[in-house]
Amino acid sequence: MAETAIGLPAAPLPARPRVLLVGTALSAVAAFMAILGLVGIYLSARADVISTGATWLPEGSNIPLTPSNMAFATMLLSAVSMWWAVDAVTKNDRQMAYLALALTMFFGIAVINATSFLYTQMHLAVETTPGVLIYTITGAHLAMIVVGLVYAAVMTFRTLGGEYHGRDHEGLTAAALFWYVTIAAHAVIWLAIYVTK
Amino acid sequence: MAVIETPPETVNAASEPATVMPRAQPTGLAGVLGSGDHKVLGRLFIITSLLFGLAVVALGQGFAVEGLAPETLDVFSAETVFQFFTFFRVATVFLLALPLVIGVAFVVVPLQVGAPALAFPRAAAASYWGWLLGSGLLVASYAMNGGPGGGSTEGVNLWIAALALVVAAILLAAVCLATTVLALRTPGLTLDRAPLFAWSVLVASIMWLVTLPVLFGLLVLMYVDHRHSATSFGANAGLYSRLLWVFRNPQIYTVAIPVLGFAADVLATTARTRVAPRFAAQGAIGAFGILGFGCFLAAATPDSGAYDALIVIAIGLAAVLPVLAILGLAGDLFRRGSFRLTAGALYAVSSMLILLLGVAAGALGSIPRLDTAGTVFDLGVTNAVVLATIIASLGGVHWWATKIGRQPANEGLGRLAPLVLLLGSAAVVLPDLISGLFGDGAETRLDWTGGIKGLNVIVVLGTALVGLGLLVAVVSLLPLLKAGTDVAADPWEGQTLEWLSPSPPPLTNFDAPLPVVLSPEPLLDLREEK
Repeated sequence: MAETAIGLPAAPLPARPRVLLVGTALSAVAAFMAILGLVGIYLSARADVISTGATWLPEGSNIPLTPSNMAFATMLLSAVSMWWAVDAVTKNDRQMAYLALALTMFFGIAVINATSFLYTQMHLAVETTPGVLIYTITGAHLAMIVVGLVYAAVMTFRTLGGEYHGRDHEGLTAAALFWYVTIAAHAVIWLAIYVTK
Repeated sequence: MAVIETPPETVNAASEPATVMPRAQPTGLAGVLGSGDHKVLGRLFIITSLLFGLAVVALGQGFAVEGLAPETLDVFSAETVFQFFTFFRVATVFLLALPLVIGVAFVVVPLQVGAPALAFPRAAAASYWGWLLGSGLLVASYAMNGGPGGGSTEGVNLWIAALALVVAAILLAAVCLATTVLALRTPGLTLDRAPLFAWSVLVASIMWLVTLPVLFGLLVLMYVDHRHSATSFGANAGLYSRLLWVFRNPQIYTVAIPVLGFAADVLATTARTRVAPRFAAQGAIGAFGILGFGCFLAAATPDSGAYDALIVIAIGLAAVLPVLAILGLAGDLFRRGSFRLTAGALYAVSSMLILLLGVAAGALGSIPRLDTAGTVFDLGVTNAVVLATIIASLGGVHWWATKIGRQPANEGLGRLAPLVLLLGSAAVVLPDLISGLFGDGAETRLDWTGGIKGLNVIVVLGTALVGLGLLVAVVSLLPLLKAGTDVAADPWEGQTLEWLSPSPPPLTNFDAPLPVVLSPEPLLDLREEK
């Protein structure tokens, strides 16, 4: 017995922080700061206009709350489904992982759909200052959602290929992290633009 | 044996580990274009940014000469002077200083942390080629009468898109650098043991990652606005005033964060002693980074009064302290250690002195009663910080010459270059600061009238000296291009891991696995053990 123990290979080196996860975290922070900066410029421009006694949105324009609330609620639901996907991969439950990832992607596409529906309801021309700001901010966030979806899809295929499993799920965790930051960015936009208007 | 059975020799062969055939490394142009090697990419960043630097110095000289007699000397016509001026300011930061420091960091940081490569090599390659494409388009946009104040709508649109591409490429490079320091350090090299240059690059990368996305977002906003109506940002000429926050303090300080790490690393090695207390050096570099957080001014215009806010004043005044702290630690190194006069030390001291001038001027300019906002005083502060970064980066190329190139740089010329650059930088910066304090108005008017005429003579001389200093530095670096034999791995009695790597480093940086690191100065430990 003792000989067998001595013959064991050397213990692996201590685990290092994961490259993909760290890189994704940094990229997600950068994307979040871009949205935050745009929202800051939006609030500043809005405050400047309101301080003159004028109204922020042009006459005839309106931002209905129902579609934006639905979109935000869907985003929140996608946080649960993404967590479910990571949890399922951790437990080597591939079937549930595929289901959860498909659901997350479905939710993401639903948010894009809800936002584009909102665009048709706002009657807001892009040539106005609020129009430029709102379309740019929400458009940037839609781009972030698309990136998050593509990232999640790539990681799904890699999971399908057996690259990620219970002991190594770095890629999926990284995709989930980016997705959570996308949801946080949506929360900021929802509050600053859709609710506060 | 049935035909469906596998012959025993095949089973044995399949059980053996596959023989990995080494892939031939492409050479020549293919080796450059398709490379993800951090050393190749770093060299590309360095060489290309120095080429852009020639244009920047020539433009600076043009403005200085026109300032001698703005009424009679028309180096730039009244119609184009604003475009040339904005190109000068954008190029100094995004086409020269930032890519130059990124180039040095690309080569040195993986070696310092004992990594076999930079994190995300393909992203790193994309960052260089993206930056090069963006820079080319930026120049092209000016050529087609674009840029802020340009007459061509398409040219202005192209300028915004090109600058956004340049910023995105720099962000990508920052992700690669920060990830390398955070996730690819060799075992035992904890973050508090990381070499100070690598630490400063980490701080700088994180600060770029939290501030430059705001600039990227602003550029996207400007692009959408300009494409549709051009009402929100004051038409073509108004674009530049919305970007001013990037080129002035506190944001401009983020460009110079690696200067502190370079100086601390080089001066400790030159003095043959350890930086102590080390946490103070790391803290000072970190504090300088945090004090460079200026993106909260992105929504401000020069006349909005935002620059008179208490927080901006406090940041401006406090930014002097970390630079003084590093200078104090350097003084302590010389007191305790045995000083050697090397080109690296001269570069380090010169860059720190110019940076101190810049942050001290920034502190002075933060005082609202002096009313320097929008004058050439701001230009002086930016020039000081950018020149400090350029001097430190050139010093980095000289110091790590055997890792970046093939042979050591010329030490004699290398000692001359920082002194000329120091003198030239002071002559460029001080007249602008004095002009801003006493009598000069806005930094740009319809025609170039920046600075007080009499003092502009000194600026002409200073710019010529900076050009000469750059030339001397480049000549001193020419040996890097020639193949050498028996190049020493550690010509300076270095303290950190990059000096364990052969010169020039192989593809995977180190010939043998590195031992577990037990202190911030592992090579100094080895020498002391002997």
